[in-house]
Formats: sequence, structure tokens, C-alpha cells
Amino acid sequence: MTADAPPVVAVDKSQDSAPSRGVRAWLSRHPLAAYAIRRVGIYFVELWGALTIAFFFFRLIPGDPVQTLIQTLQQNYMYNQQASTELIARYQQEFGLTGNMFSQYVKYMEKLVLHGDLGPSLINYPTPAQDVILRALPWTIGLLGISAVLSWILGVLLGAIAGWRRGKLGSAIATNLSIALSHVPYFFVALILVYIFAYSMGVLPARSAYDSNISPGITPEFIGSVLKYGLLPGLSIVVIGTLSWILSTRMLMVPVLGEDYLVYAEAKGLKGWRILTRYALRNCYLPQITAFGISLGFIFNGNVLVEQLFNYPGLGTTLVTAIQQLDFNTILGVTDIAIFSVLTAVLLLDLLLPLLDPRVKYWK
Amino acid sequence: MSDSVLEIKGLEVAYSTNRGDVKAVRGIDLDVRRGEILGIAGESGSGKSTLAVALLRLLKAPGKVTGGSVLFNPAGRSPVDLLKVHGEELRVLRWSALSYLPQGSMSSLNPVMRVQDQFKDVILEHAPDRKNSLHELIPRLLGQVGLEPRVARMYPHELSGGMKQRVLMAIAVALEPDLVIADEPTTALDVTIQRVILQSLADLRTDFGVTLMVISHDMGVHAQLADRVAVMYEGQLVEVGDVRQVFKDPQDAYTRQLIESIPKVGRRAS
Repeated sequence: MTADAPPVVAVDKSQDSAPSRGVRAWLSRHPLAAYAIRRVGIYFVELWGALTIAFFFFRLIPGDPVQTLIQTLQQNYMYNQQASTELIARYQQEFGLTGNMFSQYVKYMEKLVLHGDLGPSLINYPTPAQDVILRALPWTIGLLGISAVLSWILGVLLGAIAGWRRGKLGSAIATNLSIALSHVPYFFVALILVYIFAYSMGVLPARSAYDSNISPGITPEFIGSVLKYGLLPGLSIVVIGTLSWILSTRMLMVPVLGEDYLVYAEAKGLKGWRILTRYALRNCYLPQITAFGISLGFIFNGNVLVEQLFNYPGLGTTLVTAIQQLDFNTILGVTDIAIFSVLTAVLLLDLLLPLLDPRVKYWK
Repeated sequence: MSDSVLEIKGLEVAYSTNRGDVKAVRGIDLDVRRGEILGIAGESGSGKSTLAVALLRLLKAPGKVTGGSVLFNPAGRSPVDLLKVHGEELRVLRWSALSYLPQGSMSSLNPVMRVQDQFKDVILEHAPDRKNSLHELIPRLLGQVGLEPRVARMYPHELSGGMKQRVLMAIAVALEPDLVIADEPTTALDVTIQRVILQSLADLRTDFGVTLMVISHDMGVHAQLADRVAVMYEGQLVEVGDVRQVFKDPQDAYTRQLIESIPKVGRRAS
């Protein structure tokens, strides 16, 4: 589909004589493909815009990373003043801080787009920032990604049931519990869980991502250890996440329950579960799909405190360390990853929506 | 076998308000004979829709049945009091014995399901043995109401009001129910489509032998379609009788007014 996009302009001019052929005619006959091409185009513009803003934004932060690095080095290794001046020039070169801001930007984008290179990390010099990030990324995706998916599925299902059985005691309890707790910060729940399970009962570990006595690898012991260590941080996210999905799903369900087609489904004598899923939930869960895409952004920046609290070697921990040390390339890299994943997730979900709901139409 | 499908005795329905109950249906006695088309006439607020909803057991709070009995005699099943069946027993009775034809302009069709799937779910729910004949059953039912087979693959938002009404009619008779309760089946359709829908409804009776209870405020509908007509006013029946008899010689003053309200060609309102 996308391969047909570039010739649009070229073919346009020679179109007049044969209006039923060519790319434009093809696009008008395939509105879904036309929509997909346009949507992908918008995606690239958004991506470029967001990355650009992020770049300039971080350059505006006061403080000189090279100076910071030199100071650290001087304290640690006793460099003399003469060597430092040479070093400054070299480091500025390496960190991409030479020239005016625009040429820095062009160089940064070129390295990022063509080579996937974020420049060297300051905290782990000379390791490139992308390596530092890639080392932390699997942990974050593993812990926060799974927790996010799990809380979405649980929350939407329970919220649908809570809406369906509104007025019943169970629904009232679930709803009020959600209202009370859904905006409690993750780390607060994490603290309570740590207190109960790690401190008082001592049954679950509260620090790190796996038992350091087990060597990492695809072994049952290691995987078991990762699951055990991930349980508390995961649980603290799932509990609160589920509650807030319950609340929003219930809110979407209630107006649908008054629709004529629900009365009709009841008159048809269908089973309750079928009416709930195929008639009620099916007609109102679309906003939750989009909301899920947007919520993925919080995986990368919203749960920093949970990772910190559990000393989990994920992106959040990396980000905090990077900010403390003024490690520009890593901070910007984590931001870039967050931008990329949210925009990509929303793109994929937007392309998916017309397939999920026949009423969704993006074309005239 | 009794010749009545439905025997309504002393039915009372009320809506609770904070200033006490408001009675919408006040002691109705009515028999629906097997194979007939019975019209229920009356103005807005006369209680005819409340009656339909109560008979279908779709009455929602604050509405409640406060008295009476409704004996339902489905063919091949033991008679039951419709007001006393609950849960699974009621669910099994629905559609295969007691079916509902809502107003087509209402959004009674599920917007995210294809027409064929809205046939499928109710047929498979109550007659799972027809699974293999669905591919010919659905086009046949659609054909019966004058729709092409390709309508089966369409979504409700792709159908016109008249087409939706016909789809609902085809779904209503899909399981050859004993009784179909139709609530304002022609309201909100233009007069030419109304006429076609009425003809299709009459055909359905001939083809499927269903008993039809047609609720309509439009006396013209009853004149065209019904065998007998029951006139409601303020929650009570003021007159029941053969449709020709009622039109020719209305016994009640209100019925007379209703009949006079039918617009006639060539006469201007003064």
C-alpha cells in the first residue's frame, strides 16, 4: 500500500485523459488504503516534530555536561588543567556539542535516523547511550508492558461487569473502591505491598530484578527468579491500573445499557454473558483501545518511582541516574524512545479501529 | 388445544413515582386468538406500549405489574402464566414462542453486527440444530420480506428505515413463534413504505401462521391489517371487536373520535 504513495504527485498531472486509471482513481476506490497512507504520513510528521522539540528542549536546560564530566574526572583521577582544555574540545566533539545549535541538531538527527546512534552516554562513558538504554529496555517492557496489558484486560472486563450489574452490591463495592483508590500513586501501593509481603511476612523480595546468585540465562531457575522479583512491582502497577480502567469502562458501559438494541437482545432471549460482550461491551470499548495506546507512554516515564523503589534495572532507573548526572544523550534517548513507542502504538491502533468497528470511517 | 394464544385477565401495570403509583394499565381482560391479527389502538399515553412491554416481560423499573395474570399457550408446550416465569424458563420461551417486532426507526439492531449475525445468534440460541441450514435459511427469510440476500452481509447503518423494519420482521418470524408482539411497526416510515410493510406483515401471517398483536396509534393501520381491534383509553379497554364491526358501528364515543381522526382524501379540515 505504502509503495504506491510516492507516485501520487507525478501521476496527478497526466491524469486528466484517463480518469478511471492511475493512483488517484485507485485511491478513491480504496478509501481504506488511502486513509492508511495518509495516516502513516501524518505519523512521520508527528515523529519528526516531537523528536525535534525534544532535542531543542533539552538543549535549553542550563548546565554544561562536559564540564560536569571533567569535574568528575578531575576529582577521580587528578587530571591537570592543561590536559582538561584539550579534553574539553575532544569531549565536545564527541558529545556533538560543537557548532551552533542548528548544526548540532542536523548532526544529531542524522546519526539518530541513519545509524540509530544517540551519542556516547556520560554516566557510562564511553558506552553509547543506545546501549545503556537497550540494556534497561527489556526489563521495563517486561515489567511495565506486561503489567499495563494485564491491567487493561482485567480493568475492561471487570468494568464491563460492574456497569452491567450496576445497582447490585458487588458493583457498588467495585465502583466505590475504584473511585477511592484509582488515583493513589503507584509507589504508595508499592510501599504498602513491600511492607506487607517483604517486611512483615518476608515472603517476597523487594529489591532488584532477580536473585544475584543465579546467573542470567534462559534457565527455569532464572525465569522463576525474575517472576518472583517482578511480582511486587508488577502487582503495585496492576492493582491501581486495573482500578482506573474499571472506572472508565463502567462509565462507557452505562449509557449503552439504555440502548434499544440491548432491550432487543434481551427480548431475543440471549444469554446474559453474550449480551454483555457482543451487544454492550462491543459497542463501547473503542475509546479504551485508544486510551491504552496513550497509556503506554506512562510505561516509560510514569512509573519511574516504582522502578526506583524496587531498584529495578529498567528505563526509569536509568532515566533518574541520567538526570542526576546531566547525561544529555541518555535523557534525550529515553525521551525519544517514549515518543517513538507512543506514536507507533497510537498509529497501529488507529489503523486497527476500522477493522474493530464497522461504524468507524475516516473517509467521506 | 385452546384457541387462545394469550388470555389476559385483570392485568394492571403501574409506574412508581415519589408521589405514589401511576397506573398505566388498569385491569385489562383480553384474549388473543390463534392465527389472528389483533390491533391495539389508542392515543399516546393510553397504556398500549406499556401493555406490550409488560406482555413481553421487558418492563423495567420503575414500572411494575401490580395485578392480573397472562396465560400463554404455546403450541407443543404446557401453558404458562407469563407474569410468573423467571430466569432460564423465561429465556427459553423468548423468540421461539414469544417474539417481538420493535419500531424500525429505533436502534434495535446492534450497530456493530452484520445483519446475518443478528439472525444467527438468536437462531443458534434457541434452535442449534439449524446451524447447517443457516446459509439458505437467512436469504429465504430476507426474501420473504422482499429483501435481497446481499442485505445479510450489511451493517444496520447501511440500511434505510424501511429496510431495517423488514430485517426486524424477518428476524421476528425466524423461529416461527406462536405470538409476535409488534410495537408501532409502521411509525416513522413514509406512507408508501408503510403500505408495503403492512402487506409484508399480512403475508407473514399467511406464510408462517403466526399470531400477531399489533400496537399502533394509527387507525388506518388497523383498518388495513387487523382482524380484530381493541381500543385503549387511559389504561382501560373501551372497545374490542371485529375490525369491520368496530369501524362500521363504534360503540364507544372515544372509538368514534379515533375513527374520525383518519384523514380522508378530498375532505379539508374545517
